[in-house]
Amino acid sequence: MSKIALHSPYAASGTFTMKRIAYTIGWIFITIYGILTIYPLFWLIISAFKSNAQFFNEPFSLPNQWVFDNFITAWTTSKMGIAFRNSTIVSLASLLFTLLLSGLTSYVLARFNFRLKGLTMLFFVVGMLIPIHSTLVPLFILMKQLSILNTYWALILPYTAFALPTAIFILTAYLSTIPKEIEEAAYIDGTSLWGVFFRIMLPISLPALSTVSILTFLHSWNDFSFALVFISKSSLKTLPLAVSNFADGFQTDYSLTLAAMTLSVIPSIVVFLLFQEQVMKGMTAGAVKG
Amino acid sequence: MIKAAKLGMIAMLIVVVLAACSSNTSNGGSSNDADETITLTIWNNWSGQDAKAVAMRKILDDFQAENPNIKLEIEALATDGLKTRLRTAAAADEMPDLFVMWPGAMTKEFVQGDLLQPINDFLDQNAEWKNNFIENALVDFTVDENIYSVPMNLAPSSLLYYNEELFKQYNVKVPTTWDELLQAVDTFNANNIIPIALGNKANWVAQSTTFSTIGDRVTGTEWFLKAVEQDGASFTDPEFVEALKLYQELGAAKAYQEGFNSIDENQMIQLYTQEKAAMVINGGWAVASLVNTASEEMLNATNITILPPVNGGKGEAKTTAGVVGTGLGVNKKLSGAKKEAAMKLFYALAGPDGQKATLESSTLVSYKLELDPSKANPLFIKLTELMKETKIVPVYDSKLSSAAVEAINNGLQELLLGGDAEDIAERIQAAQASAVN
Amino acid sequence: MNSTTVKRFIAVALAPSLILYALFVFIPVLWSAFYSLFNWSGIGEASFIGFQNYKELLGDSIFWHTLGNNVVFVLASVLGQVPLALFLAIILYKSNAIQRFLRAAVFMPMVLSTVVIGLIWNYVYHPQIGILNFVLDALHLSSLKMEWLSDPDIAIFSLIPPLVWSYVGLYLIIFISALQNIPGELDDAAKIDGARGFTKLFKITLPMIWGTIQVAMILCIAGSLKSFDLVYIMTRGGPAHATELLATYMYNATFSTYRYGYGSTISTAIVIISLLLIGTSQWLTSRKK
Repeated sequence: MSKIALHSPYAASGTFTMKRIAYTIGWIFITIYGILTIYPLFWLIISAFKSNAQFFNEPFSLPNQWVFDNFITAWTTSKMGIAFRNSTIVSLASLLFTLLLSGLTSYVLARFNFRLKGLTMLFFVVGMLIPIHSTLVPLFILMKQLSILNTYWALILPYTAFALPTAIFILTAYLSTIPKEIEEAAYIDGTSLWGVFFRIMLPISLPALSTVSILTFLHSWNDFSFALVFISKSSLKTLPLAVSNFADGFQTDYSLTLAAMTLSVIPSIVVFLLFQEQVMKGMTAGAVKG
Repeated sequence: MIKAAKLGMIAMLIVVVLAACSSNTSNGGSSNDADETITLTIWNNWSGQDAKAVAMRKILDDFQAENPNIKLEIEALATDGLKTRLRTAAAADEMPDLFVMWPGAMTKEFVQGDLLQPINDFLDQNAEWKNNFIENALVDFTVDENIYSVPMNLAPSSLLYYNEELFKQYNVKVPTTWDELLQAVDTFNANNIIPIALGNKANWVAQSTTFSTIGDRVTGTEWFLKAVEQDGASFTDPEFVEALKLYQELGAAKAYQEGFNSIDENQMIQLYTQEKAAMVINGGWAVASLVNTASEEMLNATNITILPPVNGGKGEAKTTAGVVGTGLGVNKKLSGAKKEAAMKLFYALAGPDGQKATLESSTLVSYKLELDPSKANPLFIKLTELMKETKIVPVYDSKLSSAAVEAINNGLQELLLGGDAEDIAERIQAAQASAVN
Repeated sequence: MNSTTVKRFIAVALAPSLILYALFVFIPVLWSAFYSLFNWSGIGEASFIGFQNYKELLGDSIFWHTLGNNVVFVLASVLGQVPLALFLAIILYKSNAIQRFLRAAVFMPMVLSTVVIGLIWNYVYHPQIGILNFVLDALHLSSLKMEWLSDPDIAIFSLIPPLVWSYVGLYLIIFISALQNIPGELDDAAKIDGARGFTKLFKITLPMIWGTIQVAMILCIAGSLKSFDLVYIMTRGGPAHATELLATYMYNATFSTYRYGYGSTISTAIVIISLLLIGTSQWLTSRKK
């Protein structure tokens, strides 16, 4: 009945207007927070248009002259075209493998019971805890033995392997909240387990898969350490390496570095915007399609 | 929709696998041509747009053009990245044929790990070249009588860059004694100018650019070398503690701006070029940075000198801390035709022509050469003139074990925050002692 | 379907993940733990010294100090990022334009590389020309100015805002995804029962996504304990180890001071401590149900 009071045009209770004010103030704060949060991205982009001298002297002002040359120089001298291609191949491949493998694994872990299930989960969790620098040398030696150093696999395989724990973790948690009745109908119909996986579980997990996609893509796209150590051929260099070329230990060419970073950030933003729609669609969409 | 997605995924998968495989096959091919083409891998840190990197890359390009039967696989990385990759490759014994290498501790470690081969024979075959290096140039690349490389540049690390205009404006004399330095600090502080800009975030800066020289001024070089060997001198000796205290005094006199431990080298030079600071102490490499970012007036107003001598100090006055620059390490596993090719490239980069190209890119060299003034910018010419009458004394991090370097770098940060000089000295001593024994 | 088909499916489904993961993640961890028992510079010979590295670690005051720093991060993340993300998720999960913009804005830091984030925040905290000090001056609050990243006592706390700011987007999308999952019927049932606002929040929404909150906490703890990039870029662990973290300490030992064995000891310690903390947090939060 208090709901009726809320919607009544005659409602003039103090609580009503106070709530309104609180709401508005709240929204203003959040919008300010949003703008502050976006500011660094904005700062990055306008700084990329500045000359080194101007960046040094006036780091926060708008560029005096919009130096487009920075982007062109950065692109050509660090061979960004090649780096873009390599990063794309490696990131997409690891994304694909991660989705497929973590999807399968999470399906099994969330839906079936078997003896070593708890141990398996624990096994995967350990992977989330290691600082990656401690694995640089052992992985390097391992990949040397497998003769995959200096190939795309030298990055795709570790990226996938390291993305698996988090992916499995998130997916399993998500799948456990979905009622079992959804597949039961399919089982009764005689659909094979593979069929259930591809036609029901994957589509239903779209929101969680989108979350995992964003994370895995970003992780592969921005990784520096693995790309630094496992690849030593220029033709296979990825973006983070290309961007780092402008910063020596002693001096940093900010205008070029920032221009390079701006270019490399664009795909990440695109991927995020694409996938966030999926994340928002929710379970209802999946159930209808299934 | 699902079917389309599945097809899409399979298509992507095929493309990706094909792409990955094609890089595989191109890999397999190159290792077979042993007879006609020799492939050399070289890792370096000439990745930037600075003049020296450009000059080095040109030498590589020219070499490739003149030697069509030698294929160069060049990997250029920023310094930190190069070091990380070298360490990892060293641990797995997968070193490239030639690589940029630092003198001192790094060379020693790599020799101990059996990764380098000496170049004594090659040097003797080119005696004229060998003898034209400055005094003691090869010492830090030598272990047990074996010489493993030659320096390709020279890095004095402790030069006082100052703004003549500001000095004139506030009537400050360019310090030639320690007291005059402290006076200058006071005058600038009174006028709200930062006396000396410092960016010690990468904590080697204070040690390398300033303390190494102060240490030498107080203790003398001989003492330092003995302390490094732990042979007749120790870091807890009173002269070293005195040096620490002297440096602490400089900090306490507010010579540096606030928050100096949180800004980096670039920002330190930024403070100087923005005319917020009157002086900045940095190495010879700062010339390139200044030329890139300072205005025409700033550059003209900038002059270079060395730190003043200390009252009663045992060190020579006309010296500055520094180290010979990087060289090229030669992989131990090289032999035969490959080794010949590698040494040919080595000579192209580090031989007389290479040294000349380096000098003309406004980088100091450890080789006796005259600079053609038309090829260098004025600030660099000022530097070369200064270097003609200045000797190099060892910069601490080129001689100490890496553990002791960590100890002193962190210790100096602490010292400038008010730490206890004796404690810090003890820690440095402990670190060096355990590394030597 | 019979149990053999099921068993076969389970095996085939799990095999690729297990193999890939075991080979590229688990074995390196073990390898690293193995070398923690040695005295090795990373090049050349290694000598076996048993648990001496661990003994040294336990007596290493820098280690305990860095552990303290990591605990500060863990607390800041779990008590800062998670509730903040939860709060934002609850108010930002509709689909109008402003909400979409705000969601994207909150997530944006995740897209930027840590180098950019470190660079920007360095300029925020810059003692002479930084935004923070500039704003304080403008508000006549100059007395509140501190040496944000230079003062050993507060430096580690100054690193918390960039940390929270960078990762809150991650938890935001995880929580939004979970909130979307709450069946519509429950929402309607709640409305009919008259549960609104805070009552609905605490009695219905939170319990429904409690599992996700636990997941977020685990990710938080794991991430904070192995945190490396941000601190390395912003302060290198300085000044004088004031902001040193376990992972930066390990990195230094391995790549700067040629003590690979000791570095491995530190990273093994990180794994063990993480397991302990996660186990504890799971135990503590599972009773609440």
